[in-house]
Amino acid sequence: MAGILPYIVRRLLWAPFVLLAVTLATFALGRFGPGDPIEVLQGQYNNPEVVARIRQERGLDDPFFNQYGRYMWDALHGELGTSTTYLGVAVEDVIFEKMWVTVQYNLLALIIIFAVGLPAGIWAALRQGTWQDPLTISVLLLFRSLPVLVTIPILQYLLAIKLGWLPSSGWHERDILGLKLGIFDKRIIMPVLVLSLPGIAGVARLMRAQTLEVLDQDFVRTARAKGLQEFVVVSRHVARNALLPMTTIVGFALVGLLGGSLFVEYLFGIPGIGQFVWEAVYNRDYDVIMAVTLITATAFILVNLATDIAYGFIDPRVRLGGRGGG
Amino acid sequence: MRALWLVLGGLAATTAVVVGVAAALVVGGGGDNNGEPSSTNTPQARTTGTPSGSTSGETLRLLGPDPITMDPACASDVDSATYIMEIFSGLVTIDRDLKTVPDLAEAIPEPAQNADGTVSYTFQLRQGVLFHDQSRQVSAQDVKYSLERALNPDTESPIAETYLGDIVGAKDFARTGEGEVSGIQLDPADPYKLIITIDAPKPYFLAKLTYPTAFVVDSRQTGNSSCFSNTNWQRQARGTGPFKLKEWDLGQKIVLEANDKYHLGPPLIGRVEYNLAGGSGVTMYENNEIDVTGVGLNDIERVRDPSEPLNKEFHTQPRLDIWYIGFNVEKPPFDDVKVRQAFAHAIDKDKLIGVVLKDAVIEANGILPPGMPGYNENLQGLKFDPELAKQLLSESKYGDNLPTVEIASSGRGASVGPVSEAILGMWKENLGVDVAVRQTETATFFQDLRDGEFQMFEVGWVADYVDPENFLKVKLYGPSKDNESKYSNPEVDRLLEQADSEQDSAQRLALYQQAEQIIVNDAPWIPLFHDEYSVLIKPYVKDYVLPPFVIPRLRYVHIEK
Repeated sequence: MAGILPYIVRRLLWAPFVLLAVTLATFALGRFGPGDPIEVLQGQYNNPEVVARIRQERGLDDPFFNQYGRYMWDALHGELGTSTTYLGVAVEDVIFEKMWVTVQYNLLALIIIFAVGLPAGIWAALRQGTWQDPLTISVLLLFRSLPVLVTIPILQYLLAIKLGWLPSSGWHERDILGLKLGIFDKRIIMPVLVLSLPGIAGVARLMRAQTLEVLDQDFVRTARAKGLQEFVVVSRHVARNALLPMTTIVGFALVGLLGGSLFVEYLFGIPGIGQFVWEAVYNRDYDVIMAVTLITATAFILVNLATDIAYGFIDPRVRLGGRGGG
Repeated sequence: MRALWLVLGGLAATTAVVVGVAAALVVGGGGDNNGEPSSTNTPQARTTGTPSGSTSGETLRLLGPDPITMDPACASDVDSATYIMEIFSGLVTIDRDLKTVPDLAEAIPEPAQNADGTVSYTFQLRQGVLFHDQSRQVSAQDVKYSLERALNPDTESPIAETYLGDIVGAKDFARTGEGEVSGIQLDPADPYKLIITIDAPKPYFLAKLTYPTAFVVDSRQTGNSSCFSNTNWQRQARGTGPFKLKEWDLGQKIVLEANDKYHLGPPLIGRVEYNLAGGSGVTMYENNEIDVTGVGLNDIERVRDPSEPLNKEFHTQPRLDIWYIGFNVEKPPFDDVKVRQAFAHAIDKDKLIGVVLKDAVIEANGILPPGMPGYNENLQGLKFDPELAKQLLSESKYGDNLPTVEIASSGRGASVGPVSEAILGMWKENLGVDVAVRQTETATFFQDLRDGEFQMFEVGWVADYVDPENFLKVKLYGPSKDNESKYSNPEVDRLLEQADSEQDSAQRLALYQQAEQIIVNDAPWIPLFHDEYSVLIKPYVKDYVLPPFVIPRLRYVHIEK
């Protein structure tokens, strides 16, 4: 464990360079790519003179690095610019709210995915060779293969129109202890369901494969030979080792949350970040795109680092400083 | 803006995602991509006169477009105008019969010709009109302030010059922001009198004043705001329109509340709730979550079926727009009128509309849509005639050596969409010409279009105001900057100029009809079709007017459960 601190420091020192590269590329794509936010605003009545005037006032004609430098400097001070999708609204006033919406339903889905997927995978692995294993896997594979564009309308038809149990779409937040929460509203059920089903399938299949691999290992045989109860063998030795690769998946899934799911948000009418970024790209809303890139990249770097550190804690091999051959 | 360029492939792809429609065009989707048409039809529920009932507590629930801004000076999109039209108002407005009628003004003024060729309008304002917070009366000074604020370069309005540029001195003021606009004069003796002078006789000028750019804002709110900064006031925007803005949760929800003091008669419903986050319109409608929704091509056959219960709630109404294929008449091979005519005669519109578009649109013969004054039923279009098409092509100066031809379309998706696909097939079959497609993303598309980059393009145009000038003069007049075809016929230009200043309305429309016929024969455009709104309206929602573009319309609606 002694080596971990320098490792963290080294990784953190790299972070600004990674951020610089990512933001510079995004910034350049916006500025040098075709299209222009002011032209988009003018719509059909293009008046080049007015476009030129507003561009100049908004600093869009300044040299590239001046613009980039100014943006990054402001961003460091917590000012993420001005949106043109919501004209004149400060980016930080709108994107965190939208990200929060997306994070809520995704986090709930993520919890369900792992809470159901991991035990399901272990369960299937332990029943290898019986009829239950292939059946579980086939059902999961079916869920995995259905795109949300198919499952959403089917679920809406069944659960909303036919059975009348749930609203077909929408998003509603309640104020609970000063926090706006959408997770206590029944409108969140369908989106979470739609996201969970394929996710559970993916996690369960991976967990099954990992478990099978671990079950074959010598130390499992040793554990059994020592006369340990099967439950202890599975929970303490098998599951723990099989969980290792899942750490990475949780990490990346967490970052994915920020990106949101465009289709889910459109079809369920959820005012999240996925829809917003999509609109922003078509409006050439530079500042919004930059802010989302910046936040996502930062989160990615941090999660990646956290995952690596977590490995150090939960991988028995790492903790023991390497085992000499089982 | 009320008018907006619609693009066959482009919007289609967006709307397809939104409503789950895998077709080239969503009827009723139009400019906004929420499925709920920002302005749409019923078999025009016409009751005349101002409704004089009192406001009820009923709530109308709609799927609304997500507005960019609530600042009337800055709104250039249909989505924003949808709300601004209900919250704010100006000197004049449009009623549900699409007539320009007085709003803050007591009457529609007669234009008075001045010696120097300019024209003045004297507006007498209603007295006792209050801003929504009831704290202050609107005077002529407020109108002057609002117009000048829109034009002021500090406001950075992308569109003020377009709508107000006819006023004497407006263009200079828009550049410098110094002094005041000389064409907007107060009367020191009467705080309710305002004189607006424009640079030349323009019969459509009053119609332009019905657009948000000319609406009155409260200077105590708008103070130092511009389109891009200090915009927080917009969350509590107050105007003088039929509805008050009660709540605006960005991207989530807008709630309007009836202004029971509205000077043209208070709304008949108490509240309007817009869901801005989208969703599946028809599903939400069937599940009773909203009261009105647009219908996409996916659902249209189902709702048209008379045995389907929803059929009784289904309505259609034409829009004032046109979808067309435009040629750049300066680029070969379309610099030869015969080539253009050949391409036009080779399109079987009956088939296109009947098969591909499931008859959800109206075939276009000429430029002007049905419902537009001057629409000519007897106009001679270029009919489908493959023999004639081939003959014209071989007679053209290119003969059999046609250069490569490319059509530009705007889009977000990967496929060109069924409409384009069908047209390309017809050209191949009837002319033996292979046309390539160049699909460009929307923002870039319009830039390139204006720069005259394309040989041929498919695009749409929606009315800003009910006047043929908005189609013929704006799009096909030689010197017009919006004339992307670069079409220029001295005879047409002369007719259009003459129509501009003709005060006799019948004469004026006749001039437009003459010009239109010449244009159609010259074929700078191939008119394809006019859209129709297809909408579901709950039976308890009455008088839900579906105008061809955005007008204040919610005050007519009443709910009878």
